[in-house]
Amino acid sequence: MSSAIALENIRKSYRPGFSRKRKTAVDGLSLDVKHGEIFGLLGPNGAGKTTTLKIMLGLVSPDGGSGSLLGRPLGARDAHRLLGFLPEQPYFYGFLTAEKGLDFYGRFFGLDPRERAHRSARLLDMVGLARGSHLTLDKYSKGMLQRFGIAQALINDAELLIMDEPSSGLDPIGQKEARDLLARLKEEGKTIFISSHQLSEVENICDSVSIINLGRSVKEGRLSELLEVEGVTSVLLRGAGAASKERLSPLARSVKESGGMTHLEVESGEVYRVLNAAEDLGLELVAVQPYRRTLEDLFMEAVRGDPD
Amino acid sequence: MKNIGTLSLNVIKDTARRKLFYVVFFFGLAVVALSPLLPTFELGMRSQFLKDISLSLASLFGVVLAVVLSVNQVPGELNSRTIYNILSKPVSRPQYLLGKYLGVLADLAIILFVMGLEILVLISARAHAFSPVIFQGVFAVFLECAIIAAFCLFLSTFATVPVNVFATILFYLLCHVKTDFLHNTLVKGTSGLAKVLAWPAYYLLPNLENYNISQQVGYGKGVPAGYLLRVSGYALLFVVLFLFLGYMVFRRKDL
Repeated sequence: MSSAIALENIRKSYRPGFSRKRKTAVDGLSLDVKHGEIFGLLGPNGAGKTTTLKIMLGLVSPDGGSGSLLGRPLGARDAHRLLGFLPEQPYFYGFLTAEKGLDFYGRFFGLDPRERAHRSARLLDMVGLARGSHLTLDKYSKGMLQRFGIAQALINDAELLIMDEPSSGLDPIGQKEARDLLARLKEEGKTIFISSHQLSEVENICDSVSIINLGRSVKEGRLSELLEVEGVTSVLLRGAGAASKERLSPLARSVKESGGMTHLEVESGEVYRVLNAAEDLGLELVAVQPYRRTLEDLFMEAVRGDPD
Repeated sequence: MKNIGTLSLNVIKDTARRKLFYVVFFFGLAVVALSPLLPTFELGMRSQFLKDISLSLASLFGVVLAVVLSVNQVPGELNSRTIYNILSKPVSRPQYLLGKYLGVLADLAIILFVMGLEILVLISARAHAFSPVIFQGVFAVFLECAIIAAFCLFLSTFATVPVNVFATILFYLLCHVKTDFLHNTLVKGTSGLAKVLAWPAYYLLPNLENYNISQQVGYGKGVPAGYLLRVSGYALLFVVLFLFLGYMVFRRKDL
């Protein structure tokens, strides 16, 4: 599969204020985002996510390294015809209504007035702003602005979407709608690049991730592969108690009890012994599946394990 | 070209939202308020005096407006982050700067034209004279404002708003005193340092006195068309220069 975004050894440092010492924001970062996937860029505050996004968009020039967007070099304007961007905490011209705002952004893509009107109406309906389309954007709540931000990122029917915190400011219903929308856009063949702090959101929708810290990639790859722990199986049993815990603990890597259920992490070779013991104890088997850690576990491990 | 037009139109809408077009109303009020204070000359003299003072006032309003409109175009969009959303679209940085500048220029043209109409109406009401020659003066003010706006926009690509305002005022003053004060410093000055400082200012800054034709418009028949053509070219030269310098700073600026 070819790359929609490719960054190779990107470096960027700043001189904060009048300080002589330069601060490194991105330190030899490489990324490879394949066409048609949803890619998540994760990292703690100050990890270099925003600078990376700005470099991709040509808003910041890297000190070194190279990259391409949709096969064009970074900063090439023609790649931006095929690009949709949702900034974090999006700010728009407050004096425009949502309709006029979409019309304004649509003009930059050479869309004729009829097409702009048609797409605006469809997008505003899709993001749930059809009823508020006559209001000026300075009257919008944070969640409504986020919805408008998503709509304007889609005005050119982009091939590649770059979204900084797409669910920021949205209520739970809005977050669910945003996730569904991203899944639908992926089905349509679009490539989606997300920078986010919301690990559960990323875990739910992303195919691949890169976790960066101090401007460097500390973990990257297919999410399914990163979360799976080879040789460990997860066993869920109905029933719990001191006796069962005592009997199962020597057989498992960990035993946790909650809500009348016992959850075990077991070396794969020990599964049958655990199941036999559970049967002896009168515990009911609910599930046996390959053990998957959460993205939060992976994130903490990757960021804390980074030697710097 | 379409991108430049879209950005310019947006500047005009923003000016309307900020109610800056009301300045023409205040200008009209100022001229009407000043006119009764004029000495009670005979009608012809009164018309000349009105033209002179109205044009001076239009120049003052125009220059202040050129600074107010230009000074925050780039820093304002950086602060509000609206610039990210524009430049992530297929809009180049030269298109962005030019769109902003032409928007400011359109604002100035609209406002100065209405001011010219106000002066015309006032003169015909108070002095019973029809003086379309006033638009020569208004056009000269527009050219002066175009230079000021280009300079201010150039500075706005790297300077903070207060520094920009201060520097533009200094620029305006130096450009108006270059023919006498700076020239005298160069020719007759005794201080070496003063001469060193005066040299670049004298040779590199535009002469904005070229655009002060209120005397010719007020008390004469205006200026020849050739003169207006010449000073238009002169203004265009400096506008292009300042916009180019702005582009050179802005093209690699990290946003």
